[in-house]
Order: sequence, then structure tokens, then C-alpha cells
Amino acid sequence: MKALEVRNISKMFPGNLANDNISFSVERGEIFAIVGENGAGKSTLMNIIYGIYTASGGDLLVNEKEVKIRSVEDAIKLRMGMVHQEFMLIPRFTVTQNIVIGDEPHKGIFFDYGRAVREVRELSERVSLTVNASALVGDLPVGVQQRVEILKVLRRGAEILIFDEPTAVLTPEETVDLFVTMRKLQAEGKTILFISHKLKEVMEIANRIAVLRRGKLQGIVNKKDTNEEELARMMVGRNVVLEIPKVDVEVGAVAFACHDLHVRNKRGYEAVKGMTFDVHGGEIVGIAGVQGNGQDELVNAMIGFSHPVSGSMELNGKNMRMVTTAQLRKEGMSYITEDRARRGLVMPYTVRENSVMGQHLGKPFSKGIRMDYDKVGEFAEGKVKEYDIRPGDVYDTAGSLSGGNQQKLILARELSLPHNFLIASQPTRGLDVGATEFVYRKLLEEKKAGKAILLISLELSEILGLSDRILVMFEGRIVGETTPDKATEEALGLLMLGVGIDKKVQS
Amino acid sequence: MNITQINLTIAQMLDYTTPILFAALCGVLSENAGVVNIGLDGIMRFGAFFGLVGAFFSHSPWIGLLLGIAIGCLVGALHAFITIRWNGDQTVAGTAVNVIAVGLMTYLLEFVFSTTGYSPQLQNYFGAQAYRVHLPFLAKIPLLGAFSNLSFMIWLGFICTVLMHVLLYHTVLGLRIRTCGENPKAATTLGINVSRVRWFAVVAGAALAGVGGAALSISSFSGFSDSMPNGVGFIGLAAMIFGKWTPFGALGAALLFGTGQIVQSIIAVTGIAPKLAPGLTLILPYVLTLAVLAGFVGRSIAPAADGLPYYKEQR
Ligand SMILES: Nc1ncnc2c1ncn2[C@@H]1O[C@H](COP(=O)(O)OP(=O)(O)OP(=O)(O)O)[C@@H](O)[C@H]1O
Ligand SMILES: [Mg+2]
Repeated sequence: MKALEVRNISKMFPGNLANDNISFSVERGEIFAIVGENGAGKSTLMNIIYGIYTASGGDLLVNEKEVKIRSVEDAIKLRMGMVHQEFMLIPRFTVTQNIVIGDEPHKGIFFDYGRAVREVRELSERVSLTVNASALVGDLPVGVQQRVEILKVLRRGAEILIFDEPTAVLTPEETVDLFVTMRKLQAEGKTILFISHKLKEVMEIANRIAVLRRGKLQGIVNKKDTNEEELARMMVGRNVVLEIPKVDVEVGAVAFACHDLHVRNKRGYEAVKGMTFDVHGGEIVGIAGVQGNGQDELVNAMIGFSHPVSGSMELNGKNMRMVTTAQLRKEGMSYITEDRARRGLVMPYTVRENSVMGQHLGKPFSKGIRMDYDKVGEFAEGKVKEYDIRPGDVYDTAGSLSGGNQQKLILARELSLPHNFLIASQPTRGLDVGATEFVYRKLLEEKKAGKAILLISLELSEILGLSDRILVMFEGRIVGETTPDKATEEALGLLMLGVGIDKKVQS
Repeated sequence: MNITQINLTIAQMLDYTTPILFAALCGVLSENAGVVNIGLDGIMRFGAFFGLVGAFFSHSPWIGLLLGIAIGCLVGALHAFITIRWNGDQTVAGTAVNVIAVGLMTYLLEFVFSTTGYSPQLQNYFGAQAYRVHLPFLAKIPLLGAFSNLSFMIWLGFICTVLMHVLLYHTVLGLRIRTCGENPKAATTLGINVSRVRWFAVVAGAALAGVGGAALSISSFSGFSDSMPNGVGFIGLAAMIFGKWTPFGALGAALLFGTGQIVQSIIAVTGIAPKLAPGLTLILPYVLTLAVLAGFVGRSIAPAADGLPYYKEQR
């Protein structure tokens, strides 16, 4: 039986056809994957099915009956549930509150919190997704927040589940757990729509795969009859090199060095507990580690957002321990962030303005207090062409760009700043294969140009493919150093989990 | 000062506190749902005038109170219509309400009563002995004695504080209100109708501001004066912030500001005043407000989506 059928669905946003006449159907008990470039229209389609957006045209059928979904209430009544691409959580509420809102256990008008907590505990045990029912969601690592999102959907007894890029923020281990849950749900006869940019995951979990490209359905393939290369080609419309080429460059002088660095996190807890390493010109040093082992705090110290409590930090031989971000940038640091919305770009500003941010003071972009927008515009136009930032209008706001294009804009800006040391923190998070390939190519070009690069990533394949040296970080320390030709994913994975580390060194 | 004087002073302090409290509660409800209502000063002015009109022509403060509630709802609905239905800027809409209130009430005062400055005085108002809540068993107890003979409106303020606390933190609706104030998009994905919840919070909150206005003209005082509410609405907003957007916090802050007012009158009565510049004591409560704002606001955090318009298809 068809659990869900989409017929000729279109969605027009002002000046942008996000979904163009899309039709497909999903069998009951099937895991149906949807892939496509950033901005292909995957989330838009899911939001239409779930009643958040109203389609400009087309019909929806649930259990082979035509339905009108005007609001989320309607979708929930049809037993649909959705895990959204961005978390739909309230950090100040507890796990329990977050899970039950909208369908609260109650006595009359009163919210029965005690019963809610019991229900959440029971559910969490039954589906073996462990959460602390009374913890504040804002205190939880993203992986656990994702579990909360999934529990929210499961609690409503959804029959059709939509997962919009649930693995983008998960570690490989958490992804494995999620897949176990998904298979269990499938065995119970639930229908799952799954979106991911990681083609390997898609090939592992899906029965069938739909490919979207620029709002149109490119085709639907059986997992059995396809492979990653073909999927990538269908998505992007050209051959995509998934292999990262090897580039050999003469290693230059030390650009960045730190010694016995200690950094506290926001709560005053020491998250980096004495790290010593250096990065030379012409090399990429990769930091591998499970999220939450001090990577964020390390980066914050390196970009001048927080000052280390002790230890030394040098850039091009100059002491940089207690300096501001501006001074670091002046000395030649550039920074690519995974947090595009909060750190990378000012979303309501235009592409033009974002492209010069940080170098807008002084020549050539301003004279005294006056911005020279002609020069800025010229510069932005040039970068848009060079980096192929789509749709390509420099007057578009950064917020209106797809994730991949936002990342290209950040790269364009950071790489055009005078620098010899580049920090790339999860530079491909949430990016499609095409954009990922682009980022890799740019990083390798940087290396060829003799820049020093520090790459922090949760993706082992990325670390192994790009780095010249790999440092493994665990609980705020470097617990191992290796090179890609000597390391395997398995060995690295174990090190990242702290397995086999001498306990004496740790304490 | 003897016991009676102390009791009287406390009672008067509570008289000052009540309108501030209602204003703050209006803000708490509205902003917990994510809608800023800086027009509540204007709504109080509406409430003060219409409360007086109701009480004057019916000879019953109860009718005045009802009219205060009604006009509060009406102006609140206007604010909701602009800010929720049409996603208008909340600050601009609120300011418009304030400006309209100033001119319109001055005009209506003259139109209805053919006077300027002050309305005719009421015989039957909540502050009059006949309308007070008498609790004789408290009278002899020090401090608690102050509560033996209070205006009904003061008690109503306390009751509303408790009710608001129960609403926000113990009911299903309260959880949903706060969800809309923290993350309206998340609320949508949970099947909550954000517009409906926000409409409720804004209109119900504005009703409280209307009551607060009426508390001035038919409880603390026995008539409407053209200077009402004298910035009480803004002090109420400060009390809301100082009270961290919670009902009991707002009550505590309102009591503090009420105390500021009474200190001002004590200075005036005890004769220290002539030595100070005459205007100086008048600004005392406001200085207190500023000091408190400067000192504490950094530590209180507004609902995450407070003041942000929301429509379903936004990104
Ligand atoms: N609420 C909105 N208003 C206007 N335009 C939108 C809105 N949501 C999406 N778009 C546009 O519609 C197109 C499709 O966006 P969508 O988010 O569906 O892409 P996606 O395939 O989910 O991409 P990603 O992989 O980056 O999540 C994009 O061009 C985007 O800019
Ligand atoms: Mg998406």
C-alpha cells in the first residue's frame, strides 16, 4: 500500500520556483531517501507535506486517499511526524517539556508534569534512546538534542516520519544508533522519508532514492541498482570527484604554534587541558575527535574569542595569547566556521556587504567614515563569479542563499583577506557533494600556495583525505598523532573514544 | 511614627504598587507569548478614563472596572491586529497607542465633562470606605494591620499575580504561551496555532493594563487627571524586566517601585523637601527605576523570540 503520494507538487517563493511539479509515491514500511544539492528544494517539499508551507499547486495522498493539509495540526492528525533540519527545541525548557508540548498530559486545564516525565522515561526506555527527562535542553550536546527531536515525533505515534538531515550534526556513532532506531521503526511498519547529503548513509539505509535538482525530480532509483557516483552525478549534473587528490607541497616555516595551552569553557570548566602543537606553511593539520572534546574551546582561543588561562600561543613568531581577533587577523589569521548563521555571515545583510566584512575599514573599501560601495560592489561581483555563488545577485541577502552558497561566500571573503594561517572548522557541515568538493579544492589550493591550515572536523574521511598530519583530540588533550597513510578509520575511531590511552596520562 | 501611621504608610505604598503591578502583569503575559507591548502606558490611560466614566455615570466602581477591562481588550485587540495579523512593528504600534491615548483622552475629558485637567470627583470608588475589603481580625496585628482595610483593587492585583503564575507555569495553555515566546517556529511544528495564542496573550494582557488604569482613577484616586498614568505603564515595563518576566518577580519589583513612591511622599511630608529642589523628590521613583534597570537588566533574559514578528512561511 502507498503510505504517501505526492502529485504534481509545486512551490513558488517570490522569484524562486523551489519545487517544480514533483510526483512520487512511498510504500508503507519503506525508507525513502531524498537527495539533492543545497537549495534543491528538499526541505521545502517536506515542509509542504508537513503542512508548514502551502503548495502553490498539486495534491497529496495519504494511505491512497486524497488529503488537504492546511496546517501542521492536519498533518499530525494524519499521523505524520517530522524531525526538522534546524532544531525545533526550546533551550530553556526541560527535555520532558520539549517532548510533550502540543500534546501535553493534563488534568483539566492543568499540565501534568509528573505524568509527562513518566511517559518520557517509558518511551525513552522502550525505543532505547537515552535522555535525561529533567535536563534542560540547552545544556545538552547536539547529539542528545537530536534524540529529543526524534522522541518528540515517536511519542505522537507517527506512522509517516520525515527526517530532514538528522545526521548532519551527529557523530558517526550516533548515526549508527539512529539507523538502528530507523530500522526498528521500519520493522514496525512505519514509513520513513530520509534526507542526507552523505551518500554513503543513503546507500546504507534507503530502499529507494529520489534525486532532486533545482526543484525538479531528476529520477528515482533503487538502492540495489545505483552507487554513490551515479547519485552524485544525478544531483549535480556532472561527474563529481569524490576522491580527494593528493597534493605534495614542500613544508615551510612554522606559522602557528601553541604550547601547553589551557582554555576554559563558558562555565569556567577547563575544556582544553594542555595542548601543544604547531602548523607549518604548506601543510594541513587535521584535528580529529568526537564533538565536545574541547574543539570549540580550542578554536575560540585561537580566534581570540576567549583567552587561554595559561600556555603560549604564537602566530608567525609573535605572542598571541592575550590579543583580540582583530590583531590576530592583522597578523594573518583567517577563519572558516561551521556556524554560518552566527559567526560566518550577517544574514540580513547583502552578499555585497558580507563579502568585505573585516576588510571594510580603510582602503580600498572606505574613505574616512564613508563606505565606497562602488568598490565594494566591484569586489563582490568579482568574487561571485570566481566562486560561482548562486543565484549571483550581490544584492541578495546572505540569509536567502542556500547553505552551500553561504559557505562559498565565507570562503570567498576569508581567502581574499591577507593571511598565511587558515582555521577551517567543520568547513563542509551540511554541504552537498558539489559544494563539499569545491571546499576541498579550495583548501588544497591554499596548501599549494604555502598557507598553513588547521582543519577541525568530525568527518574521518575528510580528515584522512586532506590532512598531512592528524592529531586526535580527546577530553581536551592530544592523545595521538599520526599520518593518513599510517592510520585507518577504525584505529582513529577508537583513539577518538579514548580507548587504549594510558589512564595515567589522562588524570 | 506609631503603628497606625506605619500601617497607613504600608497601605498607601500598596496603593501605589497596584497600578504598576497590573502594568507589569500585562507585559509578562504579552511578552511571554513573544509580543512586546510598550503601548501599555497608553492602554492604562484608556483604562483610567473609561474606568472613571463607567463609575461616574453608573455610580458604581464595578461598572467602571468592567469598562476598564473592556477598553483594555479593545485597544489590545488593535495592537494584536497590527502586530500579529499584519506583522507590524511592535514598537511602532505600541508607540502609536501611547500617542493616541494622550490626545484622545484629553479631548474626551473635555468632550464628556466639559472640564480640563481633572474629571469630577467620584463618591463611589474602590478607595472609599464602603468599597474597601474589611478584615478586622488583622487590624490589631502590627504590619499585617495594613492589610485590614485595603481597596478591592489591591487584592485583585495579588490574585491576578497568583493566577498568572498558575496560568504560565502549571497549565497547558501557559506552556504553549511560553513556547510561542521562545520559538514560534517550533510551536508551529508542534501543531500550535501561534497567532491564536499570541492574540489571547495580547488581549488578556491589555485587559490587565486597562484594569491598572482603572486602579488609578477609581481606586488610588477618586477621579481622572489629565496627567494619568504619569509614566506608570513604563515603570510597569521596568518592573516586568526587573522581575525577569515572571509574575512574582513583577510583584516584587512593583513593590520596590511602590516603596520608591512612598519614600518620595514621606520626604515631602516630613519637611526635608524644602531643602531639596522641589522637582527632585518627584523624580525619585524614576531614578530608582533607572538604577535598577542599569544594575540588574543584564542578568535577566527575555523570552528568546520576544518582539519578533512571526509568519508561518518565514525561514
Ligand atoms: N521560506 C522561504 N522563503 C523564500 N525562499 C525560500 C524559503 N525556503 C526556501 N527557500 C528557497 O527555496 C529553495 C529551496 O530551499 P530548500 O531549503 O528546500 O533547499 P534544500 O534542498 O533543503 O537545501 P539544503 O540541503 O541546503 O537544506 C532555495 O533556493 C531557498 O532559497
Ligand atoms: Mg534543507
